[in-house]
Amino acid sequence: MDLSVLFSAQLLASVLVLASLYALVAIGLNLVYGTMRLLNVAHGELVMLGGYAAYWAFAQWGISPLLAALAGMVIAAGIGGLIYVAVVRRLFRSPNLLARIESNSLLVFFGISIIVQNITALAFTANSRGYSYLDDVIEIGGARIAANRLATLAVAGATCLACALFFRYARSGMAMRAIIQHRDAAALVGIDVDRVNVQVFALGFALAALAGALISMSQQISPFMGFPFTVSGFVIIILGGLGNLTGSIIGSLILAAVEVYGVTLMSPSFRSILVYGVFIAALLLRPQGLLGRSIRAR
Amino acid sequence: MKTALALAATLFAAGVTQAPAQEPIKIGYAISKTGQFAPAAHTQIQTYELWEEQVAAAGGIDVAGTKRPVKFITYDDQSDFGKAPQIYEKLITDDKVDLLLAPWGTPFHFAIAGILEKYQFPVVGNSAASVTIRDIKPGNIWFPTSCIPDRMGAELAKFLVQQKVKTAAVTTLQLPFSLEVKKFLMPALQSAGIKVVVNDEYAPDVKDLTATLTKIKQAAPDSVLSLSYPSDSILYMKGARELDIKAPFQLVLVGPAEHFFSKMFGPNLDGIVTMGHWSPHEAKWPKAKPFYDAYMKKYNEPPDYLDSALAWMSIEILEQAVKTAGLDKAKIRQAISTETFDTINGPVKFNGVENTLTPTMFLQFQKGEAQIVWPVSEATATFEPKSGWTK
Repeated sequence: MDLSVLFSAQLLASVLVLASLYALVAIGLNLVYGTMRLLNVAHGELVMLGGYAAYWAFAQWGISPLLAALAGMVIAAGIGGLIYVAVVRRLFRSPNLLARIESNSLLVFFGISIIVQNITALAFTANSRGYSYLDDVIEIGGARIAANRLATLAVAGATCLACALFFRYARSGMAMRAIIQHRDAAALVGIDVDRVNVQVFALGFALAALAGALISMSQQISPFMGFPFTVSGFVIIILGGLGNLTGSIIGSLILAAVEVYGVTLMSPSFRSILVYGVFIAALLLRPQGLLGRSIRAR
Repeated sequence: MKTALALAATLFAAGVTQAPAQEPIKIGYAISKTGQFAPAAHTQIQTYELWEEQVAAAGGIDVAGTKRPVKFITYDDQSDFGKAPQIYEKLITDDKVDLLLAPWGTPFHFAIAGILEKYQFPVVGNSAASVTIRDIKPGNIWFPTSCIPDRMGAELAKFLVQQKVKTAAVTTLQLPFSLEVKKFLMPALQSAGIKVVVNDEYAPDVKDLTATLTKIKQAAPDSVLSLSYPSDSILYMKGARELDIKAPFQLVLVGPAEHFFSKMFGPNLDGIVTMGHWSPHEAKWPKAKPFYDAYMKKYNEPPDYLDSALAWMSIEILEQAVKTAGLDKAKIRQAISTETFDTINGPVKFNGVENTLTPTMFLQFQKGEAQIVWPVSEATATFEPKSGWTK
């Protein structure tokens, strides 16, 4: 095989598009885990619902998926906030439940994931759906890429950048990071943990809905499309560090690069071996994640 | 209490005034209504449900000369082929069904074959084909499809030779059916003198095929044979268009015959070859168009030319067998094994598990319609080289 292919803009474009989508999914997943220690395995279902919202808006009313994504984000944020207030807050108030929050949340969200998948299948049928929007092929620097994938890269990339800036400079963003670092200390210095938790749920859900809307522009959607994204999301947050948001972005780039360049060098049949190989290596060599600090027993 | 008594009296009165109704026959099946195969099984479910509606409207089916109403018992196998045998065993022993319809897909047919043997319960399969099952020579399952991998491999090679193809890129999804097709295709290509310039396999969870497609672009073969299932078929189509893969012969194995494909790709689907042996446009098959129209009317979308057509054929075969044989399993088995059936895909007759009358065919999309382009004797249109992708 001609190895010059490794330097082609085409592969780079693929890595960036895939990484930007992964990052949107992983940041939301990591935020919720980092601040509340909730393992939201139903995160992929939010991606799926975002995809359906964009699909229906386009198929029924011809609304651009990019506009629908905005509306979807607002609705998802509202639902996220509501779920926190109605369900999660109660879990935190009970010391018995709080002690087992990680394992309980895994089971609860697994159940929710299956329920959401099947309700969606009942409501919209299990049929795969797709549409074509912005699908002109554009040539940039030797890469040929469909406009919808370019739009995905632009929107998802800009959103990730905005998130990074938000976590660094905005008061709420800093408060989220503070809670991730040490929840009790954050509360002691006057951060309203409960309010920040609502914001985290809203932001995490909104990012997942955005990812779903963007994915629907270039891939088919079905009620069962979400789970692989949840799995990738977990691989990424282990790579980048649990609770480490910048790490999630870097982890996304690494996973996408392993998937695209790894299979170029070896064979596509090695994809899973490569992805999970990197995952296991990260767990063995740097369990705190690439950017994480080592965790002391708390 | 009074109401209950009145109701009982009414029911009793209704019972004595009506002639004793025929006991309904029970027809059961389990299929992937949820889980990863649910999107693919969907068109088969819709086809079954269309039949259920027609049977109800007709007041039942003809069982050895007597019209009997039908009660359907259905389950979800949750896309788990480990569950399929248990559910089919329950259908046979607990629900005591009279007839069974097939599940979706080769792995599920494979999974239930043993149970059907154990209880000697005949089932006409549909959306499945396997040389391995055929070689085991089971006695209670049949495949109406002519897309049996060994026949497909040989026919595809002949088709490529006719199109003067010299080089091929082959990409294969690692699932039993596509791997079986590859197993028979590769030697057929070799003996036809067609050089394989790219040969990649990938797992079902693939999300990006750019690396493989870039290799194909570099190799610039005369033909690309994407042995794929719907979700990775989409990755192929999107990627091939982005990279502007110019091969005049491009085969995408499973997916293009599904309705959402044409919605997603529009004119870019034109020129794509896919597996299939049915078309509503074939004048030789008078039942084809009415089935197409009935499906279209109920669902407002065309049937899947592969799975919907096969599901309907399997029902037609079973219905015709029951019409002559009644509900006795041995007689049904005898009827299916020996009779010739009139279906939307023309006459069907089995030798072992295999349909011997329907030739192995290939479809090509032309102006948004799937046309039979191979073999020439069955063609509804002439093959046209793929003329590139829209910008």
